[in-house]
Amino acid sequence: MIRAVRNFMNLPSLAKVSLVSLLSLGWILVAPSIAGAQPATTQPAPSEEYQIKAAYILNFVQYIDWPQATFSAADTPFTIGVLGDDPFGPALEQTFQDETIAGRKLVVKRSTKIEDLQSCHLLFISKSEKDHIPEILASLKDKSIVTVSELDQFAQRGGIVNFYLNNNKIRFEINANAAEKISLKIHSQLLKRAKIVNSD
Amino acid sequence: MRRKSIGHRQKMLTGSASRNKRRFSSGICAALLAFATIEARGQDIKPTTAPSTEPSQSSAVAAAGPTKFKKMSLDELMNVEVTSVSRHESTIGQSAAAIDVISQDDIRRSGATNIPEALRQAPGMEVAQIDNSTWAISARGFNNNTANKLLVLMDGRSVYTPLYSGVFWDVQDTMMQDIDRIEVIRGPAGALWGANAVNGVVNVITKDAQDTQGLLVSGGGGTELRNFENVRYGWAINSTTDARIYVKHFERGDTPLTNGSDGNDTWMMDQTGFRIDSRPTPDEHLTLQGDAYQGSRDNLNDADTGVSGGNILGRWTQKMNGGGDMSLQTYTDITNRAIPLLYNENRGTFDVDFQHHIPVGDWNDVTWGLGYRISLDHVKDGIIQFVPNNRAEQLFSFFAQDEIPIVKDKLRLTVGAKLEHNDFTGFEFQPNGRLLWSIDKKQAAWTAVSRAVRTPTQLEDDLQIVAPGASLIGNKHFQSERVIAYEVGYRMQPTNWLSADVAAFYNDYHHLRSLEFRPPIFSEENQLQGQTYGVEVGSTVKPTDWWTLRGAYTFLHVRFQAEPGSTDTSSAATAGNDPQNQAYLRSSFDLCHNVEFDCSGRWVSELPNQQIPGYVSMDARLAWKPIDQLELSVVAQNLLDNQHPEFGTLPGRHEIQRSVYGMFTFRW
Repeated sequence: MIRAVRNFMNLPSLAKVSLVSLLSLGWILVAPSIAGAQPATTQPAPSEEYQIKAAYILNFVQYIDWPQATFSAADTPFTIGVLGDDPFGPALEQTFQDETIAGRKLVVKRSTKIEDLQSCHLLFISKSEKDHIPEILASLKDKSIVTVSELDQFAQRGGIVNFYLNNNKIRFEINANAAEKISLKIHSQLLKRAKIVNSD
Repeated sequence: MRRKSIGHRQKMLTGSASRNKRRFSSGICAALLAFATIEARGQDIKPTTAPSTEPSQSSAVAAAGPTKFKKMSLDELMNVEVTSVSRHESTIGQSAAAIDVISQDDIRRSGATNIPEALRQAPGMEVAQIDNSTWAISARGFNNNTANKLLVLMDGRSVYTPLYSGVFWDVQDTMMQDIDRIEVIRGPAGALWGANAVNGVVNVITKDAQDTQGLLVSGGGGTELRNFENVRYGWAINSTTDARIYVKHFERGDTPLTNGSDGNDTWMMDQTGFRIDSRPTPDEHLTLQGDAYQGSRDNLNDADTGVSGGNILGRWTQKMNGGGDMSLQTYTDITNRAIPLLYNENRGTFDVDFQHHIPVGDWNDVTWGLGYRISLDHVKDGIIQFVPNNRAEQLFSFFAQDEIPIVKDKLRLTVGAKLEHNDFTGFEFQPNGRLLWSIDKKQAAWTAVSRAVRTPTQLEDDLQIVAPGASLIGNKHFQSERVIAYEVGYRMQPTNWLSADVAAFYNDYHHLRSLEFRPPIFSEENQLQGQTYGVEVGSTVKPTDWWTLRGAYTFLHVRFQAEPGSTDTSSAATAGNDPQNQAYLRSSFDLCHNVEFDCSGRWVSELPNQQIPGYVSMDARLAWKPIDQLELSVVAQNLLDNQHPEFGTLPGRHEIQRSVYGMFTFRW
């Protein structure tokens, strides 16, 4: 081991300097982004699964077009609703922070009552509502809302997007017909990566 | 390596007998080194779904914060493996072995352009580039260009050649972006993987077809890697079946000799392949995949070496009620290699492998399997001859393993053994025992004792080089090389931003190959013994959301003795082909505006036997994603020296140059 250290000390100084600057070089390049870096947080981080699903939701908003009528002004934000017990914690706000899509920001609205979330653009329906899915979807009928959940058979029952696990990876299925019926246009980048499902 | 053999052969034809003897023995060593290691012929192929070898956590430190995920593209999100989906505590790898996983992200960010380059970052791996298309790769000692103590698998297909038990690395290639991970297991995994896995197993696993959907086009060029183009297209055939096809091509300019002159080893390869994955029911998985390639490499005497070949593999896996599973795999692999003047070899291998895993009551978890392989070859003689020049080698194997939870969730014992029958030495038995102690949720320790063998190959039994005054005739009674390995290891993940694992080993080798002079001929016998010991450390640290450090350190001590009665004077010296110390450190930064910067350095200490000085090398990569679908990157390799040698003896030794390449990757 001593010999190893001596070997290192005998290396040409260029090599030693280079090794040491491995770490410092990065700091120089990184300096501009330090100002914007997330401070270490003392609260427990939301579980990785929901951080990933929050990132997926950001992508869904990016690759879906809503009819013009769902926005009252050019800068009306996207409203992302969460119905029932919220599994995301701060993950949604953290993911949407400083993001704009087509010039619109994203805001999060939470409620346990479906009546409060009728004007959302995208609605995440929590597992806690699993016994009420038909009533929930019926009350949203004909509204251009992207309903998202993580329940068995959700898309076959009329939901638009459903998360599922495959090989330890989070995937999603899309009921393309249901989306078309409520005037939602889904871009091919999203469709081709989804499992396409039809209503029962 | 081939040129070296030709030179020595010419020297052999002139001069006195004693001069001949010395040159001959060094020539034979060179030829043997060139042909490499006679590793066990009977390498068993174990399908990649090995039940007890799960990847360690040292390369899978959890992300800190959602900012990492929101920067990912849809494809990247779809490939994130969530190891603890609904639990909040971290998981420690459950394997009682020294295992490291090189992920796709590690491959991409290190700028590695082929599998040997990707292997440099694993602890315990010795990777030395000899020339443009040749590498000396081993683990825990015995490295040379015919290193024969490492089993290498690509998606469960064994890729070492039964000719000398080593790997022709120039034809083990695939689209780097389609590699899911490379598992590196150091230590004898003989019981599961078969003979020839004496010092370790490298398992290259490509992505499932459902994970490679859409179009990927990448290409670029640079100073050494003159140009390269890869195209892959993946699509869903129906709701349960996905497929992909790819085509790739590259050309590399030559590597220089020590004096700076051209090494005349320009190299080009074309390859194409496909993969189909089908899941007709949730419990069944079928895979069909294949590749075909063709390439050529310049030689000093202006006649090109030509290589070509292809393979096709099918695997069926079924999960069963009660927690068990079974799988059946079969493959055919054809290789052709024509080295002008030296030899031509055509080989076809067919392998069938069955495996069944079944929990038995509360106390036993049994895995067992059967395998059969036949490998036929025909060698057209040149300066190197094989007698006979046609062989049909058969290998039968049976293995069984039981995992016993001595103390539930705390202490687990795994005992197993493999029994093989090969055409050279008959039956070989490789038992092993492993104990895993899960200290708590954040740390685990393990220990293992194993016996492994490397069975003879055509290089030991059939090789013949005839020269006036001194000849080498193959030894039909060459025995298997044997090792008893004692290993111990510890791994920890105390926080979600730090993980580390350490492994130490002591290997006791007997019946190693030696070169004996039994007038009037030389012969290969088993009169060498050796002891090796070492320590391997791997660690991943994530000090912030946007900064990751990955490091590895390896210490190795190798010692050989000739047994009494042996006349071998040169083989013991080849102990110096393994560096005593190696270190690797990569610093990865995720910067703003979708920019990534990676800087990696490695230190390899000297190889005194070949007079290769220790060296420090540095690589750097800068990448930018202006839009989701496009990534542009620039990679500089071997920055610190104009050129440096990694393996080989003067005067014909090649060196590796400083180089740069630029690349674009477009996904749709």
